[in-house]
Amino acid sequence: MLETEALIIGGGATGTGVMRDLALRGIHCILIDRRDLNAGASGGNHGLLHSGARYAVGDPDTAAECRREGDILKAVAPECIDACGGLFVAVEGDDPEYAERFAEHCRSAGIECASIAPAEARKLEPCLSERVFAAYKVPDATVDPFRITLENVNHAQQLTQSVFLAHTELERFIVDGGAIRKAICRDARTGETTTIHARQVVNAAGAWAMRVARLAGCSGVELLYSKGTLIISNGRIGRRVINRLRRPGDGDILVPGGTVSLLGTTSETVQNLEDIHPTVAEVDRLVAEGVAMAPQIAHTRFIRAFSGVRPLLMAAGADADGRKASRGFSLFDHESDGLANFATVAGGKLTTFRLMAEKTGDLVARRLGNREPCRTASTPLPSADAIRWTEPGFAPRYWAARRQPVDLVLCECEMVPASAIDSIVENAPGADSQMSLNAIAVRSRVGKGTCQGAFCSLRLTSHLYDRQVYDSPAGLRHTRDFVAQRFKGVRPVAWGEHLPQLELAEALHCGLLGLDHLAEDT
Amino acid sequence: METASQTAIRTIDFKAAARELLPPGASYDACLSCGLCSAGCPASGLEGMDPRRFIRMAMLDMNEELSATAWIWTCTQCQRCKYICPMSIDVSVLVGLARGAWPSEKKPKGIVRSCEAQLRFPGTSAMGLQEQDFVEAVEEGVTAVRGQGDRFARLEAPIDKQGAYFFVNQNSREPATEPEEMGPLWKIFDYVGADWTYSSKGWAAENFCMFTGDDEAWRRMVEQRVDAVNRLGCKVWLNTECGHSFYTVWKGVERFGLKADFEAGSLVSYYARWIREGRLPVNADWNTRGIKFTVQDPCQLVRKSLGDTMADDLRFVARTLVGEANFIDMAPSRSANYCCGGGGGFLQAGMKELRWAYGKRKFDQIATTQADYVLTPCHNCHSQIEDLGQHFQGHYRVVHLWTLICLSLGILGADERKYLGPDLARLGL
Repeated sequence: MLETEALIIGGGATGTGVMRDLALRGIHCILIDRRDLNAGASGGNHGLLHSGARYAVGDPDTAAECRREGDILKAVAPECIDACGGLFVAVEGDDPEYAERFAEHCRSAGIECASIAPAEARKLEPCLSERVFAAYKVPDATVDPFRITLENVNHAQQLTQSVFLAHTELERFIVDGGAIRKAICRDARTGETTTIHARQVVNAAGAWAMRVARLAGCSGVELLYSKGTLIISNGRIGRRVINRLRRPGDGDILVPGGTVSLLGTTSETVQNLEDIHPTVAEVDRLVAEGVAMAPQIAHTRFIRAFSGVRPLLMAAGADADGRKASRGFSLFDHESDGLANFATVAGGKLTTFRLMAEKTGDLVARRLGNREPCRTASTPLPSADAIRWTEPGFAPRYWAARRQPVDLVLCECEMVPASAIDSIVENAPGADSQMSLNAIAVRSRVGKGTCQGAFCSLRLTSHLYDRQVYDSPAGLRHTRDFVAQRFKGVRPVAWGEHLPQLELAEALHCGLLGLDHLAEDT
Repeated sequence: METASQTAIRTIDFKAAARELLPPGASYDACLSCGLCSAGCPASGLEGMDPRRFIRMAMLDMNEELSATAWIWTCTQCQRCKYICPMSIDVSVLVGLARGAWPSEKKPKGIVRSCEAQLRFPGTSAMGLQEQDFVEAVEEGVTAVRGQGDRFARLEAPIDKQGAYFFVNQNSREPATEPEEMGPLWKIFDYVGADWTYSSKGWAAENFCMFTGDDEAWRRMVEQRVDAVNRLGCKVWLNTECGHSFYTVWKGVERFGLKADFEAGSLVSYYARWIREGRLPVNADWNTRGIKFTVQDPCQLVRKSLGDTMADDLRFVARTLVGEANFIDMAPSRSANYCCGGGGGFLQAGMKELRWAYGKRKFDQIATTQADYVLTPCHNCHSQIEDLGQHFQGHYRVVHLWTLICLSLGILGADERKYLGPDLARLGL
């Protein structure tokens, strides 16, 4: 049985944010996730650090919240953020009145917003369409959601020896006398059962928060699942975040992600959280809409699509439209459910995760009798060797500066050297024995380049066998799971220049290695 | 006073340049990262680089690192990468662009000086030979050949002969340092009764300006040569046994949109034609001891310009000269053959250790054939392969085709055997 002061369920931005918030108050935590860090919406998003402008017209409270939180994150985690700035552009056919009201709404939410001439906008961003008729500059930025969760966990581990357990799924709670006494968990890999005894339990399970709450017998957490799909280009398209100046819709945000760009998103209400994957129809819709802002998108090579599920809070009686639902968050103390040591934090956005963690941390600390204040708004997030590898372009620069010929580049597309992989399997949060390729990919750029795992999967596997990280056929199954995961994202964008890439990957993975016919573990 | 901009390497936006300079389906965006280019590139690993890495670094916007890497001077622009690439991506184009972005004083001095020398006098010689030097060397050479006996008493090597069918160029190495090597070539022309001429202008068969990455200098060089041929009214500009001098003109005419009133031809295809027509009745009867030969495919002549047709002609000539059983091909061969590392200005660039490291693959290829001689219809290949043999202690010698042709015809003079070994030093005299 494991003991802790606070058990946190869900390894996304919020859960890891709560973990660090509590650790900064001196509280020991165990964080569990049924899969891994960033496995849900925290890994399936634009990486957009909203200035708030996008919500200025429809949701001024969220807009102001985004602005304040964005400023805090820029100060405490600058290494996770590219303060690239943003543009809002209206193209012919968009509502000119909406465009006119935009600046006023930004001002009332306290968001800097400067109108610029369309010609000036095109000078700043040559990819913009000739049909742009209005443009505004806003302080949008991008954030690396993987690095920020890794830094959260790493910091909490340092502060209070807190623990993160990957592939650990909550099976049930043992509730007794108005409190959760035990959490019975199962290791998704080995099937072994672990019992965790915690004084406080925090449900930060994102889209799965409703299920976790129900396991505790609480029915008040009502979520709307809104699936969003995004596509990733082979190279970076614009310098800044480029937003369509209209009521939020499909394909209206183009966000740079270091060396690539992400175009999104779609919004579709779904009932089921399993088997969420991008479709060809969604990709077509994104491209068709994106072309209006940046015509080159019609000819851009997209290398992958991915989907996430936004866990949106459903207010009583609200209609089930994902675009109109609030981006705000709620903290449930579950006292009306008769539980004194359970809290659920749900809804919200990546940009506001710190605030969500602060409010949750305040509640949990108070219940634990801890009087330390929240320090996350002013304490910088420390980095470490093993958690630097998610930043696009970092590994190539590191490699180029070091020039160590013996440090083999394993992933050629993103130029990830063997030393990076070694540091991840040894020291990254969640590093454990027989670490999967998918887990390494969450902590690096491996498999994120042009080849989408076609080659790096094989080189990485070989390296891990050489280093005896893998010592059984399970290693090959990790390879298979990794390429299958990449393929899920590649399939809906397979078109034109990308088709030869897929043929080659198939020849390597199925033809050469027979990964499609591996024996299952018995 | 020198300004910073003169001494700094200009940073290129490689991704944008690739999009502009390469065809849409073969731009860097189309790269599969498969690494076939790198596996087949003798420069892979030098300076920590290879062709795939070049493309990936461009895609990752590492423009400063790419602009500054000295690897661009070890890449010979041989286009083996483009040849093998499933998407036909050409790395050499951007290597050329990157070379051009280096300030002259940072570029390898040997290449820069060779180009400057070419621009200095109308003969366009990289060795700085002036018109009268060339004319004198030819005249003295002709006198020497005529002195070899009655057979060549009336041999001629015309200069500036208006309306001759062939305009023949000449690598500066012969008139400057080994004029006796011109004799066999003239004897062959004499033997087949070719109507040919040298020119006092634009005669030199080398063009290092292309290798400096300075397109403007390349263009000027080609213009001078095209003018010289047009002015003499020749039908065919006949490139002697040399690789890049052919490519620079053949490609340059198209690239710079020049008006050329002639056809570009390689001497090797004419050897083949004359043999097929019976005008050059060579055979391998002389090779009674079964001396083994292999042949190097000059990248500039085969892969980069005339393709496997050229490689086939080359093999036809070689097989006829040495005997089917005595010809051992390299693997891979023809358009897939590896660059020896003498091209791209590498021989003139100073970087010896790197050049040897590059050439090791060629040396191993040759060693595997166990050939006694390597036939090289290209001067840079000739020098590099000979140097590799010395450096890696190989057991082969390197010869031009003209030497063997004259040997087979029984007309090779005693002092025209510099590159033959003791086994052939006296044969047929």
